[in-house]
Amino acid sequence: MTGKLEYWVKVPVGPIHPALEEPEKFIITIDGERIINVDVKLGYNLRGIEWIAMRRNYIQILYLAERMCGICSFSHNHTYSRAVEEMAGIEVPERAEYIRVIVGELERIHSHLLNLGVVGHAIGYDTVLHLSWLARERVMDILEAMGGNRVNYAVNMIGGVRRDIEEKHVRAITDMIEYYREEVMPKIEEVFLYDPTVEARLRDSGVIPKRIAVEYSAQGPTARGSGVKKDVRYNERLGVYPDLGVKPITPKEFTGIVKGDVFDRMVVRVGEVWQSMELIERAIDQMPEGKIKAVPKDNALLFQLKKAEGEGIGRYEAPRGELIHYVMAEKGRDGPARWKMREPTFPNLFAIARALVGEQVADVPVAIASIDPCLSCTDRVAVVDANTGKKTVLTEKDLLKLSIEKTKDLNPKIRGKPEVVGIGCPRGDVL
Amino acid sequence: MNVEEFVKAFGGRFPEAEVRVSENKQPHPKRRVWVEIDREKFHDAMKFIKELDPKAQFSIIIARDAGETLEAKYHMELFWEEGESLSLVIGTSVPKENPKLPTVTDVFPSALPYEREVQEFLGLFFDGIPDPRRLFLPDDFPEGVYPLRLDDTGIKPEMVKNAGHPYRIGGAKK
Repeated sequence: MTGKLEYWVKVPVGPIHPALEEPEKFIITIDGERIINVDVKLGYNLRGIEWIAMRRNYIQILYLAERMCGICSFSHNHTYSRAVEEMAGIEVPERAEYIRVIVGELERIHSHLLNLGVVGHAIGYDTVLHLSWLARERVMDILEAMGGNRVNYAVNMIGGVRRDIEEKHVRAITDMIEYYREEVMPKIEEVFLYDPTVEARLRDSGVIPKRIAVEYSAQGPTARGSGVKKDVRYNERLGVYPDLGVKPITPKEFTGIVKGDVFDRMVVRVGEVWQSMELIERAIDQMPEGKIKAVPKDNALLFQLKKAEGEGIGRYEAPRGELIHYVMAEKGRDGPARWKMREPTFPNLFAIARALVGEQVADVPVAIASIDPCLSCTDRVAVVDANTGKKTVLTEKDLLKLSIEKTKDLNPKIRGKPEVVGIGCPRGDVL
Repeated sequence: MNVEEFVKAFGGRFPEAEVRVSENKQPHPKRRVWVEIDREKFHDAMKFIKELDPKAQFSIIIARDAGETLEAKYHMELFWEEGESLSLVIGTSVPKENPKLPTVTDVFPSALPYEREVQEFLGLFFDGIPDPRRLFLPDDFPEGVYPLRLDDTGIKPEMVKNAGHPYRIGGAKK
């Protein structure tokens, strides 16, 4: 045989990773070490929420919406409430708007701290994982004190919020911000902004150029990391955010350059934790006294909504990007005729799938982790040789090992172990 | 370009389209533009929007079973570089006997996953879609069943009853 023998290998990555919320599958076609095509398959967690919602009323859907996602549970029912308020023309009391800002920004802090740790783990810096997840406990405690739950805090109600912020909560939040300012953020910045190994590992991997980010409508830190200056809180002039002075954060303000790689996305997240803390402080200062619900009684609210007709759109900047809900009412019905939602990960997945073309397999975990859907959603990876049909199965551990080895090439002192975080996949050992 | 300028530009180009502006009651009221247009003019309208703002961001396709027809609404964010952006919802409808729309993936490449989603959930098909495979539903889901339809082609009660493997148990009788 003469000439170069060419064959492509297909690597399915996914679909199940138990530690994170969205199972998905990336089918990666590789030529040697280079990725030449990425195909995304979704639907492993399809629960038919839109179908279920056809049989629920407006207030029941509020709790259904909250359970769509574990990390942005506030974002979902916040956006849904905004859509219903726009449809029915309900005016939200100003104090409720400020409480929504405070809880929303607390949620952004915990989501970003989680992702910072996950990316640290993906490149073998397990210390970062333990540091940021330990720090995250503090904000989770405050959310628990305010809402009664660590995850589904059910703060929103259509036309306001269900729980007020009291003096003790304000004190706890102020203490938390001081703790983050003094003890956590300097360390996080040291790692993600100035550490040479992290910079060498994350720079120029998983690059999403600005053109691709605009063309594929990437959202949130994924878009802002590529220099796309858009933020729904700013573009939509959402709620009281304009009074608090919100601005889209791009890596330019921190490092001076925008490359659109994993490093830039992490810089944006670090910057947004700072921004969130400032927004919370300003919101606490400016928050007026007053009522927190437009309609105090739920049955009166339901009666009012039953009479309403029209359609409304709610948009909000969730920690991962633009979240959008649409509600269409039908007169005389206590539930919406159509309720549709779109999560920011949906466009981001296709943007990163496009951006992974031309990268190396070892960059897959960190690139996928950097858009914050799932850390290397890879409880197992099967490598199928297209010619012989021979199948080798790599576990999440193996893929992490590959990633850590690449970090070790840059800095031999790294001693990260390819351990599975969380409860791990029960099937991982069997295979 | 603000809301008035957009309504004027769009209304001048497509006088038959139905354009209305809504406003919500937030502290800083947000105005949205809602457009209804025939499906023959729909693709041209999307092209025109892309010409107005080459960096328009495609957000979502909201499709709905409206009895005799199927409706599809597209939300887009325009002029986001100028601070306050323009929120545009452009809708069209097709009869159920001929549920076909032209694809907009040639104008907005990011529309592809949304079109695939609408195809499998509502049975509203797109002419010229580059990748018509299923996205969310499993590959062995029965053909001709569209979960969000409200008529006979929707989910039947017997499929829901055996919720573990609804389609397999229903299909085993054949």
